[in-house]
Amino acid sequence: MTAPAPNSSAAPLLDVSGIAISFGGLKAVQNFSLQLPRGSLQGLIGPNGAGKTTVFNLLTGVYQPQAGSITLDGQALRGLKPHQIAAAGLSRTFQNIRLFGDLSVLDNVRVACHLRGSHSLAGTLLRTPRYVGQERAMTERARELLALFSLADRQDEHACNLPYGDQRRLEIVRAIATEPKILLLDEPAAGMNPQEKKALADLIRTIRDRFGLTILLIEHDMGLVMEICERITVLDYGIIIKNGTPREVQTCPDVIAAYLGGASEMKGTETRR
Amino acid sequence: MTQLLQTLVDGLTVGSLYALIALGYTMVYGILRFINFAHSDIFALGTHMTITIAAVLGVKAADAAVPAWYIGPAVLVLSMLSCGALGFVIERLAYRPLRNAPRLNVLITAIGVSLFLQNVGQLPMFFGPYPRAIPKLTPDVVLGTLADVNFRLVDAAVIGTAVMLMLALQYLVHSTRLGLAMRAVSFSHRNAALMGINVDRVISITFVIGSMLAAAAGFLYAVRYEGQAKQTADAMWVMLGLKAFVAAVVGGIGNLRGAMLGGLIIGLIEFFGVGYLSSNYRDAYVFAILIVVLLFKPEGILGRATMEKV
Amino acid sequence: MGGFATVLLVIGINIVLAVSLTVVNGFTGQFSMGHGGFMAVGGYVAAMIVYYGSLRLWGSANFAGGFLSSASGDGAWLAGGDVLFVVACLAAGLAAAGAGYLVGLPSLRLKGDYLAIVTLGFGEIVRVVLQGTAPQIARSKADVVRETPVWKLATHLGGAQGFNLLPTYATLFWIYFAAVLTLIVVYRLKMSSSGRAFLSIREDEIASQAMGVNVTKYKVRAFVLSSFFAGVAGGLYAMYLGAINATDLGFQRSFEVIIMVVLGGMGSISGATLAAILLSILPEVLRAPPPVWPAGLALLVVMVIIQKVGISFGLTRGPADGIVLNIAISMRSLRRSWKFKPLVIVAGVTMALETARLVCLQQQIDIAQYRMVLYALMLIIMMIVRPEGLFGVREFWDYLPRRRAHSPSGPVAEASA
Repeated sequence: MTAPAPNSSAAPLLDVSGIAISFGGLKAVQNFSLQLPRGSLQGLIGPNGAGKTTVFNLLTGVYQPQAGSITLDGQALRGLKPHQIAAAGLSRTFQNIRLFGDLSVLDNVRVACHLRGSHSLAGTLLRTPRYVGQERAMTERARELLALFSLADRQDEHACNLPYGDQRRLEIVRAIATEPKILLLDEPAAGMNPQEKKALADLIRTIRDRFGLTILLIEHDMGLVMEICERITVLDYGIIIKNGTPREVQTCPDVIAAYLGGASEMKGTETRR
Repeated sequence: MTQLLQTLVDGLTVGSLYALIALGYTMVYGILRFINFAHSDIFALGTHMTITIAAVLGVKAADAAVPAWYIGPAVLVLSMLSCGALGFVIERLAYRPLRNAPRLNVLITAIGVSLFLQNVGQLPMFFGPYPRAIPKLTPDVVLGTLADVNFRLVDAAVIGTAVMLMLALQYLVHSTRLGLAMRAVSFSHRNAALMGINVDRVISITFVIGSMLAAAAGFLYAVRYEGQAKQTADAMWVMLGLKAFVAAVVGGIGNLRGAMLGGLIIGLIEFFGVGYLSSNYRDAYVFAILIVVLLFKPEGILGRATMEKV
Repeated sequence: MGGFATVLLVIGINIVLAVSLTVVNGFTGQFSMGHGGFMAVGGYVAAMIVYYGSLRLWGSANFAGGFLSSASGDGAWLAGGDVLFVVACLAAGLAAAGAGYLVGLPSLRLKGDYLAIVTLGFGEIVRVVLQGTAPQIARSKADVVRETPVWKLATHLGGAQGFNLLPTYATLFWIYFAAVLTLIVVYRLKMSSSGRAFLSIREDEIASQAMGVNVTKYKVRAFVLSSFFAGVAGGLYAMYLGAINATDLGFQRSFEVIIMVVLGGMGSISGATLAAILLSILPEVLRAPPPVWPAGLALLVVMVIIQKVGISFGLTRGPADGIVLNIAISMRSLRRSWKFKPLVIVAGVTMALETARLVCLQQQIDIAQYRMVLYALMLIIMMIVRPEGLFGVREFWDYLPRRRAHSPSGPVAEASA
């Protein structure tokens, strides 16, 4: 949908350099840097409490970085409000699902469509042709997206009544509806069974190809990450300990050390390999 | 100088009343995270129970004579017990079914409970729809005079009782097992339950203690404003209660010392505003302070900021 | 004007109040307790404009309206007084909207209970300040009013006595004109993209921001819009009573409106309207309670027709024993099926109310005395039994049965596999 602009494809779409935040004495994230080329699919992994979600929160403006810079397609994002960052083209899902539970599935998506429109009070109250047209286009688009993700027949249900897997999918649809350049997925496979995970992996690839999106993915399921990500960044205690291809990451002693003790998932991957 | 001292004495006396009520608000907020709007009605009830119990003990508003010394404390204890029992019942019937409901629902229920208490109090079978006069419970003794300002026994009794109760609460919360349980519950219901604490019981006790403190404040109010006539559904009660809540917020809600500090600050600001600016805007000063504090330090003077987890 | 007409007027004003508060409390989920304050701002502004305006323009504060605002129903359709009245109501709305903007600003930083307290404090400040104003300039002193500058007139608002002896313009026509206007505006808002943005803030503020909703802007918008209509309602209220006193517009008034919004369902326009109607009628009804059962029965019949139940009540099979069997089966399905729950509730409530009424009649208990107690109980029980209110977020027509559209399932999830 958002056709990537052809300008300077050599420069990374998202350029994060040296962002940091600490809460009281806890240095949650330090000196975090990341370059995402256009159309890439990158993983962000690390043990529990490593600061992965905090990175997402810093990128999307939920927390303000205390140092560093974030640039998306030439636009500086640091210091912007979350809704401005969403407007700039960064969209996300949440680890603990945050749907608008009492709104219908369709309305969940339409809220996200809202971003790419203008909403004057006068137009809304007088129902000007422009407003009506925009509203219709918005509904149309939301329906299309829902149909693409097999949620069309559930569009009138309350979001909170959807089964868990559908809720996760709806979160992704909602994020895509803001027409982002970059999609941040926070543990999309959490709580899914192997078949669902397999379907999710295919879904993520399809999204990337179909919508021309760049994706940054936090995931605990190593099998999934290793399978679909082109590059992986490993975070431990708020610091990047490794950045490389899945193979490099798997063989990196620092990464294995970071996961030792608490990480049966890593071992699982190794046996699979 | 005279005016300054007088204002100071009045501000401190009323401020300590606010502090007592604020403690109840802050305890409930600390443990259940909602504004117990009905708290001001427990306070009003404290005053009305004082009138009723005093009448039962033979002290009428019309009497000119000062009652025996033990009447006052007896009335205080009885009215605290009855209000504590009421607090227990309210928590049990109205708030416990909503333990896991959204906070807004609990807040609205609290408004409902408040309206209920006010209007049930108005019924003929309880205190009736007419104002009732407050009897005299302490003798008119002047303890000392400084720069033409009399320090009366009444003021000393109010401040003294309030301070005593606050010290007792401080001891209870910070030096007993029950206090430890209360602090644990206020930190996290689930974790406290996992540690074997009976959360429901702790919450009940919190309500009872808060209600008893409000009843004590109601009694002290009666002592201080003897001879005045009050109804149960008077906006003034809610107003006093709200000011006490403001005190709790200004001091930092959920923080006991904050509530005490806030009470004194609000009392002083109110009386200095009335004494030095204009008495027309008595209630406006308090809310103006609230808005200023919330805008610049939303967590209150002694409160700690919290952040929502995403 | 008869008692019935008065109740109708009160209903109209309460609809404006409840529906406008729905925007803030119901849609955006911000808890405002200052609606009485906004109403007071509007009421006093309108009172001032009409009273001093009449004195300045015509030298007398007598009624100068036409047919539409006249109780007796004569005169031209519109007269000078009506224009002044409409202008006053608009100004009332704008003044209250300005106040709403000022209160909306702190709401950017405060959440939940804190905002509730600040708005409540705002309402009280408004009340206290209005009660501290200078006495009203008497009706006979038109020349004094003419010589006094406008800003100074604005300080003569009657103080503790209230602003009295206003000409009464707010007739059924004007009040219902305002009510319908409010309903249309709020309904269109709810059904629009802005409305969904409001609702998303209530559902989850952080997710809402992440989806690009400018939460700050929408919260302020909600406050401004809501207080505009509260101000208009205040103007109507003053011009219907012929007097306004800030004492009546304290937090008790705000609570009353909140109760309407909550009972109706947080965010349901039809719910708020219905609650406004019911709660305005209730005091009148309690004064001399009429029989409840005809209304209950009628409601039951309507519900049965709507739900298309009762036809399958086991009358299909021939012999008598067959019928008995069938009824037994449908009784079981009655217990299992949700469809019947509303019917059972309506029947139960009707019976309970009727019994209570008869008991009260027999014992000669004056229920009107218990009005506020009943309100309070209703509120508490509602919160415990049905916390989402009568209709929840939805409108009543969402509960009517309708055909469900089946759309084909989409390709991406399946086709990509």
